[in-house]
Amino acid sequence: MGLVQVATETVTSAVASVTLTGIDSDDVYMVAYNNIAPSTDATQLQMRVTVSGSPDTSSNYDRASKSMKAFTTFSNSYATNENLTYPSSAQTGTGTSETNNGILYLYNFNSSSEYSFGTVEVVTGDYASARLYGWAGGFVNTVSQSCDGLQFFQNSGNIASGTFTLYRVV
Amino acid sequence: MSEFGYIPESPEQSFGNNKGIFTPKDIYDLTRADKYTNYGQLELIETLTVSNVAEVDFTNLGTYNVHFMTFNDIHSANDNVILSIRFYESGVLETASVYQYAYQYGNVNGSFGDSRSTVQNRIYTLMNVGNATNETANGYSYFYNLIDSSKYSFSTFQSMTINNQPNGNMNFGSGVLPQASSVTGINVVMQSGNITSGTISLYGIRYS
Repeated sequence: MGLVQVATETVTSAVASVTLTGIDSDDVYMVAYNNIAPSTDATQLQMRVTVSGSPDTSSNYDRASKSMKAFTTFSNSYATNENLTYPSSAQTGTGTSETNNGILYLYNFNSSSEYSFGTVEVVTGDYASARLYGWAGGFVNTVSQSCDGLQFFQNSGNIASGTFTLYRVV
Repeated sequence: MSEFGYIPESPEQSFGNNKGIFTPKDIYDLTRADKYTNYGQLELIETLTVSNVAEVDFTNLGTYNVHFMTFNDIHSANDNVILSIRFYESGVLETASVYQYAYQYGNVNGSFGDSRSTVQNRIYTLMNVGNATNETANGYSYFYNLIDSSKYSFSTFQSMTINNQPNGNMNFGSGVLPQASSVTGINVVMQSGNITSGTISLYGIRYS
């Protein structure tokens, strides 16, 4: 009972993307991602929902989040009709601890009649010597379709390292 | 014949008291029997599939100090309403304006702000939800100290919904019932009208 691991991937050599699939029930799912580092400096982690294992690249992602920075004032981050969404609050880098770490909760992914929702809670050490960013908010893929997972990728270059794990909350 | 490395059989196994050598199958079987020690387990207490009611109650809180609740695919009969939390104290629902909450909200079209109160009759938890197709509310909440009669009862929460515009809304925040009391139940209630459908699950977080 609790968290049942569905899929996991630990990146030890650079890859273009990481895809976690296996969502096949109406339960809530959770993704934990840890120490995600890019191979190219000053790039940002992004994601798309997957449908039968393939990323949905259509412009149907809406999001709203609060960006909380230790070094300056907070800001609002929001968008509609993008072709991807973000599990990260800032660009990260190739220096020490310039990484993303976070938790996503996923809702209605399996339903073919509902939109797919997610809440995002992430802490980022950015590319400028790991300045602290926190980010809390959510996203929705505004398509009534059954989604089976998420694909993660950098806006440029590869994912160099880190662990992504998908759980079913039972 | 050996059992967990002991011959002929091992001492009795129980949570917090495992002795022996365990194969993966042993761990699986003992876990299913709730006899294998895994600290910080998330344990399902109850799942309610809601259908056309104004509120639902979770009256079994177990012996956990921390609870976790998920709200999945919540549909509302009324438009643009908020799903909230109230607590039963020693079996009596607290309906007075004694709850406090504070949260940050944001809309996908750029409307952001905060909402807070020190004199509310509930803890507003999920963001506004509409009542049209695909307008649903989803989120989670953690609860702390509910069963401890010497402490206040706290919550944190985060949600993503679609309101009546229809626009995506997010919020994250916290709440408290600032009364040192024994909470015996959690009441989940829509601001007005019924919860048309949805699934709400309550878990206890087990730790030593």
